[in-house]
Amino acid sequence: MHAQAGDSLLQLWRGSGARSLVVVGTGKNVGKTVTTRAIYRAALDRGLVCGLTSVGRDGETADIVDASGKPRLWLAPQTVVATARDVLPRSPASEILALSPYMTAAGALVYARVRAGANYELIGPPNASALRAVVDALLAFAPYVLVDGAIDRIAALAGARDAIVVACGAAAARTLDEAIVDVRALVVRLRTPRFDGAGESLAIEGALSAAMTARLISAREKRAIVVRDPTQIALTGKAALHAFEHLTIRCERPLQVIAATVASIGRERTFDPRAFAHAVAEATGLPTFDVYAAERAA
Amino acid sequence: MKPGRLLDAASAQAIGFAWLRAALAPAGPYGEAVFAQITPFAPGDESVAGARAQRVARIAADHSDAQLDALREIVCDVPDASAAIARASMGDLLEDANFLELQRFFDACERLDALAASDDLPRAVSPEVRDCAKALERGRAGRFGFYLDDAFDAALARARATHAQAQAEYDAAAGRAHAAVAAALDREISLPEFIVMRADLVGPLPVGVRVVRETPTYLLCELDADDSVLGALRRRDEAAAGLARAEEHVRAHLSATIREYAAALDAAARAFGEADVLIAAARFTRAQRCAVAVLSADGGLCFEGGRFAPLEHELKAQGREFTPIDLQLDGIAVLTGPNMGGKSVALRTCGFIAACAAYGLPVPATRARLALFEEIVWLGIGAGEDGVVGGLLSSFAREVVQLRDALADGGRPRLVLLDEFARTTTPREGRALLIAVIERLQAERACGLAATHLGGVAEAAHVRHYAVRGLRGIPQRPATGDLALALETLAASMDYRLEEVGGDRAREADAIALAKLLGIDARVIDAAYEALEPE
Repeated sequence: MHAQAGDSLLQLWRGSGARSLVVVGTGKNVGKTVTTRAIYRAALDRGLVCGLTSVGRDGETADIVDASGKPRLWLAPQTVVATARDVLPRSPASEILALSPYMTAAGALVYARVRAGANYELIGPPNASALRAVVDALLAFAPYVLVDGAIDRIAALAGARDAIVVACGAAAARTLDEAIVDVRALVVRLRTPRFDGAGESLAIEGALSAAMTARLISAREKRAIVVRDPTQIALTGKAALHAFEHLTIRCERPLQVIAATVASIGRERTFDPRAFAHAVAEATGLPTFDVYAAERAA
Repeated sequence: MKPGRLLDAASAQAIGFAWLRAALAPAGPYGEAVFAQITPFAPGDESVAGARAQRVARIAADHSDAQLDALREIVCDVPDASAAIARASMGDLLEDANFLELQRFFDACERLDALAASDDLPRAVSPEVRDCAKALERGRAGRFGFYLDDAFDAALARARATHAQAQAEYDAAAGRAHAAVAAALDREISLPEFIVMRADLVGPLPVGVRVVRETPTYLLCELDADDSVLGALRRRDEAAAGLARAEEHVRAHLSATIREYAAALDAAARAFGEADVLIAAARFTRAQRCAVAVLSADGGLCFEGGRFAPLEHELKAQGREFTPIDLQLDGIAVLTGPNMGGKSVALRTCGFIAACAAYGLPVPATRARLALFEEIVWLGIGAGEDGVVGGLLSSFAREVVQLRDALADGGRPRLVLLDEFARTTTPREGRALLIAVIERLQAERACGLAATHLGGVAEAAHVRHYAVRGLRGIPQRPATGDLALALETLAASMDYRLEEVGGDRAREADAIALAKLLGIDARVIDAAYEALEPE
């Protein structure tokens, strides 16, 4: 009766045809790493070798903002990681596969293969363009790559070669309604359709800002507003939803969002898990999973 | 590559020093370290500088373009192990990534030595390098990787087996506890925390589950390890500590080997870097068809088929050719010629060739004989004008200040290049000033070339007079008025070669004809011709 969240997410990923999957969140502590781990464990159970990395500030043992404990990743033999050399466990020794030219705050990024299971911290590439190169390099070592991600670093992944799972949680919103608005806005934004070339369009160089959007709405702009990729839409929450309601926003390089996950546990508040998951599923139209409860929203 | 005292910023910019430095840039980190320390040779170093240029020329001759490209690829694609060597030499324990860096470096040394077709390229491989490479060989994993393999030490193999056994026992114990809870709850559970909905709970929580947090609708739980799991965990941790000690023992042994040979490895890194720098210089030599100059202490600058490589490169990209020039300077000479006739380029060619020689490089000419100059000085157009807007000094005053500094620092072997010096004052006074400056420089036994439109300077200063041959005829303005086409038409009509001329009369500048070609209104052109006073 209970869906296996990790395995279901894995099946959606494999069904998407993408070889890499990025987990992004609506904020801090919304279960990105827990989601990543659930999918990773499911892949392990099916005998799939994965490459892993992270972007943003993840990988610290304590959260940089509130000093709360961060989930660590216990990695099984044969798993490949791209992480900073200063946080690579000294023991058990990993097989160092290659050195990268990218620097992180914890030293140069290296590619390593796990030889004996151990807890790993993942500190990934320092910017969006490096992420593309690192994911491609990991794919040379492993058939599948999982990225514990951050929205502002995924621009280089646009173009539908990668799948995305959106994680949302009680930690990033004051109320359930606010959390739903936030995740809906994020998903609408990330799923910005590709511009098909039909009709008149207005190409936006760089980011579509809130001020620019407000001007376009007040001018009753009817042309398609075309951005390079969804990460160039610098709008969140209600402003993003308002913009998509009043403008025809399109992109040149879309992203492929395949599912959402919920974490109803926050330090300061909790939501009812089933109500939260159901509301997210309804608001986003995405298959939605609670990885803590191992459930899929009805 | 440092300009040292050879060039100030303005002169470096005028003669294309940045282009030269980019053209000679090495590909890898070892070469960069060597390249950063390169300084120009000074007068008195003729034999050393000449020997280096000969060496570069031999490397260029002994290798094809493809071979040099292959060598460059080797020196490019290698991590910098210098820090690892330095750390080991100070007794530090290296990390596995350091061993990979060293292994890749040793591999690159072997490949470089194997591919080098000239004895003039330094050899990085030595018996010590081979010993170190052999010491790390057991760690080679796959094509490029490094792993602290069991083969390094029997004790490591035993520690690893013990750890693997303890890990398996822990996994089994923890797995049983996990499976029991999952079965009791009839669902999968995530780790380390999972949610149990109160609505789904019939009776108490299963044994082995600890509640971390309670909410009205669910319980946040963790697995509570029993004695068997805790015992297995303790044994696993003990085995992990034993494995860590065994791994550190192997790292310490490998680090000690690197430490023992640190001096030889430093020498190898230096040789590898020098090879990178020489490969870059050889590629430059082939690409620019350079020749080794004869270096003499007589203070002159003579060349045949001289080319200003940055411009030649730019023209080549446009499908056009650079016209090589010949010049013989045994002191100061005057250069005259039409506008757009290449006077400034002739000056830059002198500076560029002198700079190449100063860095022990073959020069872009078919033949050359020159001195090593202590300084190359550029005065006049293009000297430090970039970015200067307004300010207290006029164009003329800026030139005068530069001249003042240059004259104050005189008396040393110098190449002085004057591009239309004093052009911004009255022709009468400008000419007088230029003559005086040339006489002063001549008296100081400086070498140089002064480009000018002013007449009678060479004769008055008693120096040689060169002239650009100039237009073969007055080119017609293209019907389309296209500037690029006009420049092409001009280039086709211009003979950029230099020739020594007698007499003091400056060549015609052909300024009005050029203004017409470049699109000035025909009425203005006609008026200009009418206003032209017969000489």
